[in-house]
Amino acid sequence: MMMRNNDTISPYQLAMIIIMTVISVGVFSIASDVAEAAGTDAWIMILMAGIVNIVAAVIIVRLNARFPNKTFAEYTQELIGTIPAKLVLLLFIGYLTSVMAYELRAFTEVIKMFLLFRTPTEIIILSLLLVCTYIVRGGVECIGRINELIFPLLFIPFFLILLPGFNLLHFDNLLPLFQDIPKKLLMALPLTAYNFGGIEIALFYIGFMREPKKAYKPLILAISFITLFFAMITVLCIGAFGVNYVPELIWPLVNYVRAINLPGLFIERLDGIILSLWIMTVFTTLVTLYFVVSYSLSKVFNTREQKQYVLPLVVVIYYLSLQPDSLAQLLKWGDLLFPYATPFFLYIAPLLFLVIAILRKKGVKGDEKI
Amino acid sequence: MGLFSKKKKAEEAEKKNKTRSDKSLEVNMKVIKAALEDCDDIVYKDFRVGAEQKLEFKLVYTDGMIDKNVINEAVLNALMVHAREIPPEAPRLIEKLFELVRYGTIPASEMKEIENLDDAILAILTGDAVLFIDGTVKIIVIGAKGWPSRSVSEPSTETLVRGPRDGFTETFRVNTALVRRRIRDPKMKLKQLQVGKRSHTDIGIMYMEDIAMESLVMEVYRRLKSIDIDAILESGYIEQLVEDNYLSPFPQARATERPDEVAANLLEGRVAILVDNSPFALVVPTTFNSLFQSPEDYYDRWFIATILRVIRFTAGTLSLLLPALYIAVTSYHPGILPLKLVLSIAASREGIPFPAILEAFLMEATFELLREAGIRLPAPIGSTIGIVGGIVIGQAAVEAGIVSPIMVIIVAITAISSFSIPSYNLSVGIRMLRFILMVFAGVLGLYGIMLGFLLILCHLVKLKSFGIPYMSPFVSFTASDLKDTVVRVPTFMMKNRPSNLARNRIRMKNNRSMINQIEKGGGNDDEKQ
Repeated sequence: MMMRNNDTISPYQLAMIIIMTVISVGVFSIASDVAEAAGTDAWIMILMAGIVNIVAAVIIVRLNARFPNKTFAEYTQELIGTIPAKLVLLLFIGYLTSVMAYELRAFTEVIKMFLLFRTPTEIIILSLLLVCTYIVRGGVECIGRINELIFPLLFIPFFLILLPGFNLLHFDNLLPLFQDIPKKLLMALPLTAYNFGGIEIALFYIGFMREPKKAYKPLILAISFITLFFAMITVLCIGAFGVNYVPELIWPLVNYVRAINLPGLFIERLDGIILSLWIMTVFTTLVTLYFVVSYSLSKVFNTREQKQYVLPLVVVIYYLSLQPDSLAQLLKWGDLLFPYATPFFLYIAPLLFLVIAILRKKGVKGDEKI
Repeated sequence: MGLFSKKKKAEEAEKKNKTRSDKSLEVNMKVIKAALEDCDDIVYKDFRVGAEQKLEFKLVYTDGMIDKNVINEAVLNALMVHAREIPPEAPRLIEKLFELVRYGTIPASEMKEIENLDDAILAILTGDAVLFIDGTVKIIVIGAKGWPSRSVSEPSTETLVRGPRDGFTETFRVNTALVRRRIRDPKMKLKQLQVGKRSHTDIGIMYMEDIAMESLVMEVYRRLKSIDIDAILESGYIEQLVEDNYLSPFPQARATERPDEVAANLLEGRVAILVDNSPFALVVPTTFNSLFQSPEDYYDRWFIATILRVIRFTAGTLSLLLPALYIAVTSYHPGILPLKLVLSIAASREGIPFPAILEAFLMEATFELLREAGIRLPAPIGSTIGIVGGIVIGQAAVEAGIVSPIMVIIVAITAISSFSIPSYNLSVGIRMLRFILMVFAGVLGLYGIMLGFLLILCHLVKLKSFGIPYMSPFVSFTASDLKDTVVRVPTFMMKNRPSNLARNRIRMKNNRSMINQIEKGGGNDDEKQ
């Protein structure tokens, strides 16, 4: 246990990393996205999406279990040759970097809208990025630990804050259920599924575990937790505002929290508190993605350490995140990128590489049972 | 067969480099006197033994560091008076003079023989009496240490309501005895070494052989061995020389005055470092969680302990965040407070010429000044500071319109909170971070506080103390370790020792079933007896 090298994470830490990565800026907007597509059946769609993603996660673990103690960046080179693998990796880096830039910018817009009205965007972005670099330079063990530590610090107050809003709920708003399910499965499920973007980084993090086969349980538990959490938020938002109003809101969860009124207490409005908490979720998402990017870069350029890529990346992410002129443009760009990129890296790429691995008989076998 | 048997060879090789003693007393004395020239506190006592007064002896010691009773009774009286009662058999006597004196004549409990003069000089300066005998190379060191020392008294920095009242003193041997008295187990090891080229300070590493990780003990030993310094005057020197991260505001070794706490930590698999001349023992590795613990938590019933723990963690958070929150809320986000409260704060700040951040800095800095002055001042004048401080902080500043009454409340709560943290070092670290967070809050409001808080969290998860993550058991998670964190579960449930420290994890067996059996009036007859 002690004095070990700075390069392993425990199964529990993996679960925390996945939870904290997937839950990010999207928490505030997911209810409106899904309600728009699926109406009152939104939370059922989320549960379905959860099942889809558990399947995806199983594929990811299967792929990784064939290559114990190797990350995606390492075993792809074995699978499809060095140069193609590096190209795939660069694609991955490009994708994750734009996700980070997107998250950062969306985050900044929320902060500017609710907390700091006149602070320049540049300052908000840069200050958060610099805090991220500090922990990312610490390596994968620190990433695991910070996620582990923030999880209770975030979710315990989070649930406590959501609790007093239950009197806002009108359960009539949640009805009718099970309308046009087949059609919604076709149309709404793909839209819902990519809200779980972030699970794909398990391709990397499982490689840091001692025994990749132990990844099934934490990953499935993590995705179940995320699914239930998303479903709960959707039910709360739709229950409070109704299915017609929720899609109109950009961040229905913030509106939900704002609607909570606590007369006679020390704190009257909770949106400031929940936004401060939410900085932590964005932070953890950024940090886990950030590490994967800098780690992948070190593999592309065959260097031993990932540290030296961390600071230069600040400039890239900072530049990218400042490109959209407004929130509207940012959301438009996001709609162009995520429906295609996320399913590719989350579902298609792991499946493709698993098939290649099986066909080319690479890696360790005997991982057939779950 | 100890952990340290390998090190013995190196020590033997070292011995060869030292000045060997000579057969002639005169030659030896020349060397000793040359080395201790101008040390006027050294006493050289010549005496002759035997009927013919031909056997020359010399006793050397440092005045004031030996127990004169021991010298008089055990050495002088024994050799000069009692030795005469034995019929002198001159030829045999001279041949076996050393053995006779060493094993037969001197009634002192602590004695050893050495053969080199460097060790003899060190022994003299340590407070032992050294006996030179003409005609033999062997030198007898008589343990007669006895200097004025403070007696065992209640520790002044860690007082408890419930618990033993004895604390460490400045004398190394007393301290080791205080711990040994609590753990009468041969597995409790004490490895001694001397550090400091000039001070030759005794340092003891205490650990439980079958509980502490071997790698941890060796790491502590390695780090202590690597210290090359002229003098170690306090365990603080050791702490700073062996800690992992010298830039961190958080203490990475726990300094304690309490032998019961050292014993408890040894039993959890930690290693204690005892230093001569210091009433503070160091316990490593230290975690953030352990700095919020007090020995009392284990002596009181579990729910009292849990309440106290919750209070302490809350106090830590308040002491870190409260002034920053005040700044952020009053200058950036008045909206999150109830309207009436906002109005009353605004009314109380009416006419105050400074922004909230300056106001907070002013008051916090004044308080830090008062605290520092309170420590420096001699006790009789100390209360003056209280009065002056109370008036300056409490009333005059408000009446003069420099600060608002709310700010005074904030400062007071922060101050009280920071005293509720059991570890003084930690509370100083938190105090420092509080000012940094205040700057963050002044610049970026709540967002700034969160950034600062995250920065501190990042630092904490990066930090390790002797290879153990500083934030464990909150990180590198093991469920059984959480039983002794914010919540202290009933004693019978804490069956295991900390998983990342102890090799031998089972601490106790559950006796609840026995108690419940008797309560029910049933149970096994055999067990009742």
